[in-house]
Amino acid sequence: MKRLVSLVVALLAICGLLAYTSHQLERTSGSTGAKVLNLYNWGDYIDPSLITKFQKETGYHVNVETFDSNEAMYTKINQGGTHYDLAVPSEYMVAKMKRAHLLKPLDKRRLTGWQNFDSQFLNQSFDRGNRYSMPYFWGTLGIVYNDKFVKASQVQHWQDLWSPQFRDKIMLIDSARDIMGMSLVTLNKSMNTTNPATLLAAERKLNQLAPNVKAIVADEIKMYMTQNEAPLAVDWSGEAAEMLANNPHLHYVVPSEGSNLWIDNLVIPKTAQHTDAIYAFLNFMSRPENAAQNAEYIGYATPNRQAKALLPKAIRNDRQFYPTQTTIKHLQVYQDLSPAKVALYNDRYLEFKMHH
Amino acid sequence: MKRHLAHTYLILVFVILYAPILFLIVYSFSQGDTMTNYHGFTWRHYQTLFTDARMLAIVANTLLVALLSSLIATIIGTLGALSINRTTKRVTRESLLTLNNVLMVSPDVIIGASFLIFFTMLKIPLGFGSVLMSHIAFEIPIVVLMVLPRLREMSAAMLDAAEDLGATTRQLLSRVILPFISPGIFAGFFMALTYSLDDFAVTFFVTGNGFSTLSVEIYSRARQGINLEINALSGVMFLFSLLLVGGYYWIQQASQKRKHRRREVAS
Repeated sequence: MKRLVSLVVALLAICGLLAYTSHQLERTSGSTGAKVLNLYNWGDYIDPSLITKFQKETGYHVNVETFDSNEAMYTKINQGGTHYDLAVPSEYMVAKMKRAHLLKPLDKRRLTGWQNFDSQFLNQSFDRGNRYSMPYFWGTLGIVYNDKFVKASQVQHWQDLWSPQFRDKIMLIDSARDIMGMSLVTLNKSMNTTNPATLLAAERKLNQLAPNVKAIVADEIKMYMTQNEAPLAVDWSGEAAEMLANNPHLHYVVPSEGSNLWIDNLVIPKTAQHTDAIYAFLNFMSRPENAAQNAEYIGYATPNRQAKALLPKAIRNDRQFYPTQTTIKHLQVYQDLSPAKVALYNDRYLEFKMHH
Repeated sequence: MKRHLAHTYLILVFVILYAPILFLIVYSFSQGDTMTNYHGFTWRHYQTLFTDARMLAIVANTLLVALLSSLIATIIGTLGALSINRTTKRVTRESLLTLNNVLMVSPDVIIGASFLIFFTMLKIPLGFGSVLMSHIAFEIPIVVLMVLPRLREMSAAMLDAAEDLGATTRQLLSRVILPFISPGIFAGFFMALTYSLDDFAVTFFVTGNGFSTLSVEIYSRARQGINLEINALSGVMFLFSLLLVGGYYWIQQASQKRKHRRREVAS
């Protein structure tokens, strides 16, 4: 009994010590007090030194909390009980949050950096007039190839993937909307079509691709491609950037006839409380030098035109991640479809996977 | 020959169990930024880790929640096990146990989501308190399950003998029952501790307002790829748990020696 009691006391002492430590640590990073900004972001999706800089410059302390999927973030905000001031949803999630009345409109008069943004990434279908969202990063869907096995000229267009020379050589990202979308573009159709006949045609087209498909996988693509396990893959630009950094033989192509354009955005959830801090942060992040630093750290493409001009030439002129104007014109943003329409995509995709 | 084979088997099993951890730690010293290639030795990732106040605060929070919640859960769970054991009516006892087991087997996601709804309904702010409470809640059934078998093993004759010798109820509990079931209590505590440390599903739903734990933080880095700072952290945690186990072993050895000496004096 005595031993048990002394153990309990010892444990409580350790707990006290830990509580003190964490309190001290949070204070050195300054998280107590009224001047706070609660940022809800993807893990490791902002350069930490920018947060330090923002804190020094404005005196606001930034609490960063992280999530691992759009849906998880949506649930947390929808349920309430939290006080996030800013969140970073992808484009379709902006539309969904807007419909669920979870967002506060942006007060454009308080934004000082709006003119820095490239108009190509503004006024998209998911948020006309950008009433609720400010673009944060953007990217594409494309083809990753290994120059040990494939020549650049062999894979410039989606249709090239159907060539019989690539039998059992292609890895596909396991995502219904993206793979069906790729097939739709190849058929010269919209990536947002809801016509069942068109979708059926897209599935048939995919079935013809089946002999060339080595595997349909998710995150593992990065590992396989880096280790030269497959010559070709269809994946997002963010993932591609990471692969390219680890294997100099890999390259990324965005087919000029069209592809998906995805945009991650900063939005203000209904639960936000620190309006001044929010606008201070939005203005800070849209300043060219800060946006450029963030883009260099994350490795994704910035929608901030002035920031892009500040990036090193090698990045700025990299056609893989900043495609030409004509290619960008052909990119399509996914529209937020109703669950029944999404099910249409999923069903056709599942049929293809079963066929494969 | 047979013994030789047994040894080889044992070594093989340990190699398989420990290789991934060692692999992780070796890469924490790599100059690169990913785990695909080793690029030569550096302390850089440890330096970033120890200057990252946010990360260290998260580690402290995680340990705090784990220790405090498993301590409280152990106390409540042990009391619960005692009362379940005392219940003489078979139906009541079985239904109490079943209710306990249902919590054990129900998926974490569902528990987490229901806690989120529960806390927001009661207007309890999400943060340290909500995480602590939910951890205590899912740890109690584990403790009960670990303590109960030990209580069942205890013979009624021992309790009768103690009462015959004049032990009060209080003494019965502190001198006879608790010492006997303490291995079960310890096992329950450590199980609860590990559950709390690596729980993601429940914790994700109830964290908020700047409070986060390690598992939530690491999972949410998956989209960007996990950087080697996490490897460095794993290395430190692994060393820390090695030291803990070593310390525990050393204390046990010392107290065992003391007991032996006392016995020698007594005889």
